[in-house]
Amino acid sequence: MAHSWLFGFTYFFTICMGCLFWNCLHHATDSDWSVVVRRQLENIASLIPYFAIFFIPVLASAGVLYKWWSMDPASEPLLAAKQPYLSQPFFIARAIGYFVLAGWVAYSLKRRSISQDADGSAAHSLVMRKFGIGGIPVVAIAITFAAFDWLMGLDYKWFSTMWGVYLFAGAAGSSMSLLVLIVSALKRRGYLSVVNLEHYHTMGKFMLAFTIFWAYIGFSQYMLIWYANIPEETVYYQIRNTGSWWYLSTFLVVGRFFLPFPVLLLQFTKKKPKLLCAVAIWILFMQLVDVYVIVLPALHPSGIAISPFDLSSLLGIGGILGWLFFRNLKNSPLYPMRDPRLGASLKLTN
Amino acid sequence: MAEYRKVYGLGAEFDSAASLMSAAETVRDKKFTHWDVHTPFPVHGMDGAMGLGKSWLSAPVLIGGATGTLIAALLTFVPSWGIYPMIVNGKPFDWRVLPAFFPIFFELTILFAAFSTVFSLLIMNQLPKWYHPVFNWDQFKKATDDGFFMVIEARDPNFSESRTREFLESIGGKNVTLIHD
Repeated sequence: MAHSWLFGFTYFFTICMGCLFWNCLHHATDSDWSVVVRRQLENIASLIPYFAIFFIPVLASAGVLYKWWSMDPASEPLLAAKQPYLSQPFFIARAIGYFVLAGWVAYSLKRRSISQDADGSAAHSLVMRKFGIGGIPVVAIAITFAAFDWLMGLDYKWFSTMWGVYLFAGAAGSSMSLLVLIVSALKRRGYLSVVNLEHYHTMGKFMLAFTIFWAYIGFSQYMLIWYANIPEETVYYQIRNTGSWWYLSTFLVVGRFFLPFPVLLLQFTKKKPKLLCAVAIWILFMQLVDVYVIVLPALHPSGIAISPFDLSSLLGIGGILGWLFFRNLKNSPLYPMRDPRLGASLKLTN
Repeated sequence: MAEYRKVYGLGAEFDSAASLMSAAETVRDKKFTHWDVHTPFPVHGMDGAMGLGKSWLSAPVLIGGATGTLIAALLTFVPSWGIYPMIVNGKPFDWRVLPAFFPIFFELTILFAAFSTVFSLLIMNQLPKWYHPVFNWDQFKKATDDGFFMVIEARDPNFSESRTREFLESIGGKNVTLIHD
């Protein structure tokens, strides 16, 4: 049950952090194209503080999830070496740090952006640029160490330095997919008519880029561990490549990269919103499979054992976040109406 | 001695990028086929105004990339499974050793795709080219500074020295000049 909750929690946390990354990137690079879709990124990223509440069950069941939580470090040399990092107070302090830092950046970016809707002052853009530039290291550090703490910590003996960037690669690609879906849903209802095919094309390009990046990072991690063949490292893939987990791991490799890659490679796909939405749904589903293959083998090393709690934690966390998202959606205009670069965004050409 | 040189086309100068762009739209709509514009800097949207459509560059890049993958596959599979099998790091001989070859697939795919991109670009732009008739037109030196030019070639089926000259003047062209080859 604890693992199911961690699975649902991680899935939505990575997506929200991905949206915060795109939002920060927009300001740091002074982008034109993303102005019309930026408010939706802000809306999703501003859900990050709520994850502090969803984290309470993870903390409460830390003894079940993380073997090191209740172990005596003196009894295990591998744990004793990691003792300064894997200690209960530092673990809790780090988690608070991620939520406070990322939440602060997300909240400030959204608040500034909404103030700009009211007064149209370009000074807000300059402040948001500073938050964007500072926000990228915040996202990078938070997602890397959160991945180390909450997911790599499932097996305290195992380590991979690519772990943080692997999670980030999946997060960025799936959050861009979610953005495509939200924008399309709003357009279908007749809102957000400022978004045109050129914006879809750009979002599709980022989906393609992060499909490739995910495969690049995932394979780099796999190949180094596979080739070096050191027992502490290979244990992660050994569990996931034996028994029924092998089928899911293979499905992940094929479904997360080999299927969407040729489809997204065509310019045709990126200019057809319906087709792009279908690919976006698929990528979000594969991100789900990715997080499942990361978390659940820690509980069932011998093979896949689907529990109803997997689905219920996913629906529960997703339902609450969805409700909060739709409640916030109507409180602000659907795009930053008075952003100085809105005109340039409307005239986007690829 | 009178010179008998072939007529290359008619050149016209425009005041600004915007007036050149609207002129290009008119020329496109008049169904001219052999013509070009010359500006000191890239003008966004000019490809649409000229009716150029999508470039065919992606096809050679795909073919180049696929060739690279194939060559990488031959370079790795043929020696390690066929002509010189060797056990490296305790890895097996069968398909399970595939991950070790992925970096080679990746690098050669990129290398060949990049080569075909560069060479296709050179072919598409007809480069390198040491001579072009527009250089016979003194005014054209401004094309690298502040001049916006349009040249309609004589080989265009719609070309006529007098009517095309009137047409270029009617769409805002100045200093309309006959360019010789």
